[in-house]
Amino acid sequence: MRAAGNRIVATVAGLWLGSTAAIAAAQQAPAIPAQMPPAAAQPTQEDHPTAVLPEPSPRWIYVLEPVFPYLVASKVWILDGDDLSIKGMVNGGYLPNAVLSHDKSRFWLAETYWSRGSRGVRTDVVSAWDTKTLAFAGEVVLPMGRFLVVPKKHNATLTSDGRYLLSFNMDPAFSLSVVDVKEMRYLGELDTQGCSLAFPTGNNSVASICPDGRFVHLTFDANGRLLRTELSDPWFDSQNDPVFEHAAVHRPSKRAFFVSYEGWVYPVTLDGMPKVGERWKLQGPGDEEWRPGGWQLAAFHAASNRLFVTMHKGGKWTHKQAGDEVWVYDVATKKRIHRLPLDHHSATIAVSQDEKPLLFALTETAVLMSYDTTTWQKKAERSGLGITPWLLYTFGE
Amino acid sequence: MTILDAFDRMMEHTARRIAQRSSRRGILARLGTVLVGGAVLPLLPVDKTRAKLAHASEFAKTAQTTDPTKCNYWRHCASDGYLCSCCGGTVNVCPPGTYASPTSWIGTCINPDDGQAYLIAYQDCCGKDSCGLCFCLGTEGEMPSYRPELNNDIVWCFGAPSMVYHCSSQVLIGRA
Repeated sequence: MRAAGNRIVATVAGLWLGSTAAIAAAQQAPAIPAQMPPAAAQPTQEDHPTAVLPEPSPRWIYVLEPVFPYLVASKVWILDGDDLSIKGMVNGGYLPNAVLSHDKSRFWLAETYWSRGSRGVRTDVVSAWDTKTLAFAGEVVLPMGRFLVVPKKHNATLTSDGRYLLSFNMDPAFSLSVVDVKEMRYLGELDTQGCSLAFPTGNNSVASICPDGRFVHLTFDANGRLLRTELSDPWFDSQNDPVFEHAAVHRPSKRAFFVSYEGWVYPVTLDGMPKVGERWKLQGPGDEEWRPGGWQLAAFHAASNRLFVTMHKGGKWTHKQAGDEVWVYDVATKKRIHRLPLDHHSATIAVSQDEKPLLFALTETAVLMSYDTTTWQKKAERSGLGITPWLLYTFGE
Repeated sequence: MTILDAFDRMMEHTARRIAQRSSRRGILARLGTVLVGGAVLPLLPVDKTRAKLAHASEFAKTAQTTDPTKCNYWRHCASDGYLCSCCGGTVNVCPPGTYASPTSWIGTCINPDDGQAYLIAYQDCCGKDSCGLCFCLGTEGEMPSYRPELNNDIVWCFGAPSMVYHCSSQVLIGRA
């Protein structure tokens, strides 16, 4: 009986180590539990702290995983881009969107919950996460809801100064919910006039894409009230050759590149009312069989002026087919400078914004690859990253 | 006021706003999308769907008409998600315990048996988490989400008691 009692005490101490109760139990237990051989005793006990990350590196990659077969259980993985080792993760809600802060201190998830998992009271929320501790850092409820759709990166964004988070909402009226992420306060809704997505154009302005191929440009005040609504002329043919939602956007330089189903590139300056430059074509002579496709299919490295696009061989309406190659362009000369065959077909790509950038490519079967864009060699590959990882984010993009 | 009444009211408001700058055909496309099964159905934009028949034929080349649990079943030409036919339902019946969404977007598929084009309402079944079986992705005529009336990424549970997506059904609503 005596020996059995000691085992119970030792088990309790093991299970509750770190709690007040466990400390008390351990103090009462013999120095060497009865069932532990004397030779196994160590002179000191190992600590069991929780890791804290340094400030995020521009070469880290944030992977949003909506988990399609279990949509109520999303997560965001954080990996070191050089070796694709895991730095940590956070849990998310239903069909979330991630937004990375400009100062690297936070990231936010616009997400949806039901009080009983898949049923009960619905709550839409912007939750804040500390980038070093990966600890929950507060939330703002979105009282008007948010758009529930397979995650698309540009359904949530930050204004140029990083003060306001804008979350697209089609519930089913079209609007952008404005959240002051400095004060962590919901401000209101901006009517987008039936237009979708969110591309920041200033400290208090944003542009959306309209069904007829125009931009709508919205300016709002510090209270989230709409001050001005402007419509551009149509700049692409939304009936016959629409642009993909996943434009390559580089916020610091206010540059964006929209790619169309047929492979036209529309350079856009997102500084005030968007200005659309002269379009140019990805495919040249001999490339007729190729077209852009996938999901987050374009990325832009601002310092080197390079645009990356996933390409595949296919006919019309293959716009969601993953890319066999990434084609790389100098956007100044509009010339292709490299074709990178991918080891695995990839629907989503991203590029780090440091001097020797990494190109990340994500398959539809949970494989993430990292390529060195100075040598075009693959640096790392990781399979089994969740079930259906879907979007990629880097700091500084 | 029911949820569906509220939905209709919101969409009427939205449609009115869009009407300020859209062609009549565009307005009809939107109304046809959101009021499938309702009185507005006869106003569907026939011209536009006919214009897409040439594109729909690519899927029809390898489509079959006997097994709705396979991705190449003819009605799945623009279906995105888990097939209700694999989840306790059929192409037009929701699995037990789920809610049949009254709203959807509408695609056009060709039945290879008769070579005719048909309008398919991609109505979701809602109220339970993802079925997780028989994922299929058809993209014939599918457009970005800023054209929601032609997009298959959206959770089409508007008007249902729950916005939780379970599976995708493919309801025949008429000849294109």
